[in-house]
Amino acid sequence: MILWINAAIGLLVATAILFLIRRDKLHVRHGVFWLLVAVAFAGLGFAPPLVDWLAKVIGVGYPPVLAIMATIAVLVIKILLMDMDQARHEVQLQRLIQRVAILEGTIRQHAKSDDDTTSP
Amino acid sequence: MTARARFSPRVGVVIPALNEATSISGVICSLRSQCNYPVVVVDDCSEDDTINIASQAGAHVLPLAARLGAWGATQTGIRYLLQQGFDIVATLDADGQHEPESLPALLAPVIKGAADVAIGTCPGRVSRLRLLAWMMMKTTSGLRMEDITSGFRVYNRRALVELADARATLLDYQDVGVLLHLQAAGLTLLDVPVQMQSRCEGSSRVFHSWLVVGRYMLQTLVLGLSKRRLSAQTENKT
Repeated sequence: MILWINAAIGLLVATAILFLIRRDKLHVRHGVFWLLVAVAFAGLGFAPPLVDWLAKVIGVGYPPVLAIMATIAVLVIKILLMDMDQARHEVQLQRLIQRVAILEGTIRQHAKSDDDTTSP
Repeated sequence: MTARARFSPRVGVVIPALNEATSISGVICSLRSQCNYPVVVVDDCSEDDTINIASQAGAHVLPLAARLGAWGATQTGIRYLLQQGFDIVATLDADGQHEPESLPALLAPVIKGAADVAIGTCPGRVSRLRLLAWMMMKTTSGLRMEDITSGFRVYNRRALVELADARATLLDYQDVGVLLHLQAAGLTLLDVPVQMQSRCEGSSRVFHSWLVVGRYMLQTLVLGLSKRRLSAQTENKT
């Protein structure tokens, strides 16, 4: 039963992702990842023998646990990738703030020099 | 006279400042009475009148639009002076702890080429608890400098180029991370004993709350462990 629920969630998420990309709420770069994950889980749900076979090969006694473990692993990896992406954005933002400060400081300096030269 | 002896490096001073209206003027005036180096104050989004006071005292002020922390502010000043073609940059705190009188002693080894970075050290200034924190940081990072948290430093151009790089932007603090970054680049770091005062006004950005201290220690220890040099290292001491 849990695999069928998994499949339903996978299909629902895949539909939601396509909708979000259509509405420009999600970047297609991120959408592709989630879509692949959703389709993979939907596929696993519709083909329980595959999970049973894989669980038997790996040695997992209760096959649905394998699907849940795989879900958790994918989510952990994705969150890690998101943190890496955030770090990259943080660097870009900080360097932009620094650059603005340098430009503002230079403008202030020019304005001060102009005032000094024009004042009697 | 040799070409090296004729070479007169352009020296600039960077002071990161956050709400230092009461002390910044004194620090700048003291610096200007000691030496004629251009002073750049990087205002880390102060809520008081630090910008105007620093500007009136004769410093070139770079106002940050968002708070980046002491290291983010220092890096801004370094990037600016590097753009302006400066060869050597000294950094010091805006709270009056660092005495401009010690600047020539700190500059000397860098100007002579004996070191890429000179760190003003004054271990006697700190409490036992902070010494314990330093010991933990040194153990995890493998750094052997005397005073790893000192913001009173002098960098040459090689060090400035390293520190202006985007990879150094992610660092939150200017102590262990910056030193490990410089060490990884193969630069020579030198301890120079200097005199330091206690803060004129205000409180330390890090050591004002146990929660902040805990976060700082955890971050620094993890950073030290992850960036620790794997091979044996050598640093000089005076």
